[in-house]
Amino acid sequence: MQRRQFIMLGLAAGATLATGLTLYPMFSEADKTQQQQDASLVLDALLPAILLGALPKGEAEHQEALQNTRQAVLDYLPFLPKRQQAELQQLFFLLSQQLTRLALTGHLLALGELSLEQRLQLLSSWRDSYLTLLQQAYNGLRELLLAAYYGQPAHWQALAYTAPEFRAYE
Amino acid sequence: MNDPIKAGLAKGWRHIDAATLTEDQQFEADVVIIGTGAGGGMTAEILTQAGLSVIMLEQGALWSSSDFRQQERWAYPHLYQDGAGRKTKDQAIAILQGRTVGGSTTVNWTTSIRTPKPTLDYWQAEFGLDFSGEQSLAPYFAKAAGRLHISEWQVPPNPNNAALKRGCENLGWQYTVIERNVHGCANLGYCGMGCPLNAKQSMLVTTIPAALEAGALLVSRVSARKFQWRGDQILQLDAVPVDQHYQPLSSVKLRFKARHYVLAGGAINSPALLLRSKVPNPSGRLGKHTYLHPSVISGALFRDAVSGHAGAPQSIYSDQFVWPKGDEAGFKLEVPPVHPVLMASKLTGMAELHAGMMQKFNHLQVMIALLRDGFHPDAQGGEVQLDAHGEPVLDYPLTDYLWRGMQQAYLAMAELQFAAGAEAVMPVHQDAMLYSSWQQAKTAIAGLPLKTYRAALASAHVMGGCNMSGDAAKGVVDANGSHYQLQNLSVIDGSVLPSSLGANPQLTLYALAWRNADLLAARLRG
Repeated sequence: MQRRQFIMLGLAAGATLATGLTLYPMFSEADKTQQQQDASLVLDALLPAILLGALPKGEAEHQEALQNTRQAVLDYLPFLPKRQQAELQQLFFLLSQQLTRLALTGHLLALGELSLEQRLQLLSSWRDSYLTLLQQAYNGLRELLLAAYYGQPAHWQALAYTAPEFRAYE
Repeated sequence: MNDPIKAGLAKGWRHIDAATLTEDQQFEADVVIIGTGAGGGMTAEILTQAGLSVIMLEQGALWSSSDFRQQERWAYPHLYQDGAGRKTKDQAIAILQGRTVGGSTTVNWTTSIRTPKPTLDYWQAEFGLDFSGEQSLAPYFAKAAGRLHISEWQVPPNPNNAALKRGCENLGWQYTVIERNVHGCANLGYCGMGCPLNAKQSMLVTTIPAALEAGALLVSRVSARKFQWRGDQILQLDAVPVDQHYQPLSSVKLRFKARHYVLAGGAINSPALLLRSKVPNPSGRLGKHTYLHPSVISGALFRDAVSGHAGAPQSIYSDQFVWPKGDEAGFKLEVPPVHPVLMASKLTGMAELHAGMMQKFNHLQVMIALLRDGFHPDAQGGEVQLDAHGEPVLDYPLTDYLWRGMQQAYLAMAELQFAAGAEAVMPVHQDAMLYSSWQQAKTAIAGLPLKTYRAALASAHVMGGCNMSGDAAKGVVDANGSHYQLQNLSVIDGSVLPSSLGANPQLTLYALAWRNADLLAARLRG
């Protein structure tokens, strides 16, 4: 990470710590909608990058896989401890706001406006950052997104994997 | 296929799903057991058969064989702590731990190993715990083996385990055929998602049904929040239901009153309940010295299909390196089952690199090395803390000592995988690549940065935090599981272990639970 970016991240983190609590008072319904929007925005931008090479080739299947995986992530999040949920929401929020996004990504553009190559570079820069926060973000998102994708039987064909079914006896 | 749980409920077993309760309620019994895993399940059967009235509490739900789906996307959120997303505080180590009726025994891989003698010797020397002679656990290992059909696995190992065996044979390394707690096992490989055939002799299909048959009450989807206590007595336990995502609710208050309380929530949740309750802690050890068998992973590509998802997940282990002559960290070599989510999330990298490895899924052989923590001043484990929600979070520092052990483990695994015939080996580490020879791997592993987040780390064994000790100054409970300060509290679960085991824990816990529940029954019948 470059020095300019690091300073910006400091500003962003400061701003979040100062305002974070008032930005997310306590999971009201309106907040939940906003949180889902933040999360979807980030997921929609990162999924096609992280899953490059895994996603189905056909356009319709490609889109369906992305949508189902985004939904699988959103469905899974409430099972995490509230602490981890809040950390992820914080990350989604920072990435959806212009100033903090600039600090985290080095780009003024929204994540979805970056090329796939740029999004992968961004993720790699987090992985190799000396900042714990960014390394955690890389590892956490990577695991979450890949687990959601490979949890779906529709995506097992490339693995030549099938699971036995025992539900016929019900 | 019959489902013994559904059949029992139909004929009147007493079960309450706390999530369905709409009004505050109080329950009373001779004994309340918090947690239904190896410790709680075993204790429930023994106490009910001694004629005591028992209530079993479980934060997870009552799922049984006809509910289990052989899909990780269902099993992980519903059967594991924190939806299988449990991690250490710095998120460096992923922790797999059960949260369902039967606890981790419902989802473990059935490996049954007696407590290693050097571990017992260490406990005697360091903690004054004597499990020799008349105090020997041997009779309890035998009883547990009988109760849970524990015996050596007679079926040939699946190719994933066979590679471990072959590597050991070719290198002259020690290996053992694993004993498993199964009865009528069809060698499917889905132990980690709940056995659909009721072949695994978990607490869910053995001791818990026996306790229910004898009149015990099971309350599921309930979160034990706080003990009310005064002087040396617990007065009651406050609890709340959980929602459909297993998060504690505050709408309904449940109170449990008993003559005696048995804490069996596992090595993270048990200390957390005691910390929330601010119980006396003169030894200062409550929630501390929590051990994980922190594990590193190594993948290998074989020409022939390995299909690590099929067949008994663990049938061979090697103790070649678990008790080294020097004081370096020993490690046990095993293999995990290889299912899509477990593999995809642990495998490093992303995009084409990751997708390419996933396409070789059926040719991937995977090894794990479990480090034996808790036996050295530089491996004193982690500390359970409470977050802002009162939920536990384990702070587990990784020391240079442990990292050196991990590096040795990467080397041993790569050497073994090549000796077993691997075409290429890849330590699961951000900076590792596929290496095509042992020489190449050896050089590369020596240069891998030993740092948090670079190495993929996991744990399936959580131990300690309420450690037993012969000396009150060095422990939370005594050798019988009796709490040193609170007279009507026992801890009977993995949290009592004063070090890691150097072996998979379930059989140690069954034996300790049987012994200590027997003693407790005698004491309560007085």
